Amino acid sequence: MPDDQSFDLAGCLGRVRQRDQAAARDLVEHLHPLVIRIVRAHLPRRVSEEDLTQEIFLKMFSRIDQYQGAVPFPHWVSRIAVTTCIDQLRAQKRRPELRWADLSETEAEVLDSVMTNERDVAPDEAASAKELVHKLLDQLKPEDRLVIQYLDLEQRSVAEISALTGWNQTLVKVRAFRARRKLQRFYRELIEKERS
Amino acid sequence: MNNPEKSWQKLVDAARRAPAEGDLAAPFGFSTRVAALAFEQRPAPSMFARLSLRAAVVACALAVASVAFNYSAIVSAFDTDSAPAAGDDPIADVVNLGT
Repeated sequence: MPDDQSFDLAGCLGRVRQRDQAAARDLVEHLHPLVIRIVRAHLPRRVSEEDLTQEIFLKMFSRIDQYQGAVPFPHWVSRIAVTTCIDQLRAQKRRPELRWADLSETEAEVLDSVMTNERDVAPDEAASAKELVHKLLDQLKPEDRLVIQYLDLEQRSVAEISALTGWNQTLVKVRAFRARRKLQRFYRELIEKERS
Repeated sequence: MNNPEKSWQKLVDAARRAPAEGDLAAPFGFSTRVAALAFEQRPAPSMFARLSLRAAVVACALAVASVAFNYSAIVSAFDTDSAPAAGDDPIADVVNLGT
């Protein structure tokens, strides 16, 4: 597999357009880290990571003749990956309600500690915190989830999210505002149900 | 109790410290499978399928043409009173023979 620096993307794309399978393999291997990061961040429940990644690459190859070079190729592929993940999340429709009982022991401890502010989250609880964040994000609509994922977890700028999704910057900000309000509501409900 | 905004921020700060999970490289054979699927030749439709599609198009065109060609005849057939006139009824003629 060619490394990132020496990889000739333009040349590879030209050969892929001429239906060169070896070039197609190189392109998949080169772009796999980019695509798998997006898939892992937005993977819907009960969907195989590998199946979704394959679907994204097949879409990329089927549309490769439409790529005009207006944006860098990895951005163009990222947008295909993001929209495919959103479509998969939309297809799920029903988002099961999160209850305190659904949390593992460590997740419950992490949630308790961030809410009561009694202690900091320990470094070995980071994985549980991440899992907990994903469980909370699962409660949101796919578009809202994506905005919060990028803004808060990946710390991307509004401009970057706009470029990745094709939504204008105002829409990204509005979605982020609404999503945060919904998250706060889920938080409160989760705690109130636990107390009751 | 923290306010929800502050506790959410604390939670995502902790989540960001989690180690990246899994290998980012493509699994063995993945790129070969995807490249093969992307370039696989779609089988050409069979001769029968292509001919039957054309035949269906021709049949539809003929049906429309025949309706258009015989339009006036069809309309007049629906317009005329289908009940036979009393004067044309041979049984009525026989019954009324003596009168």
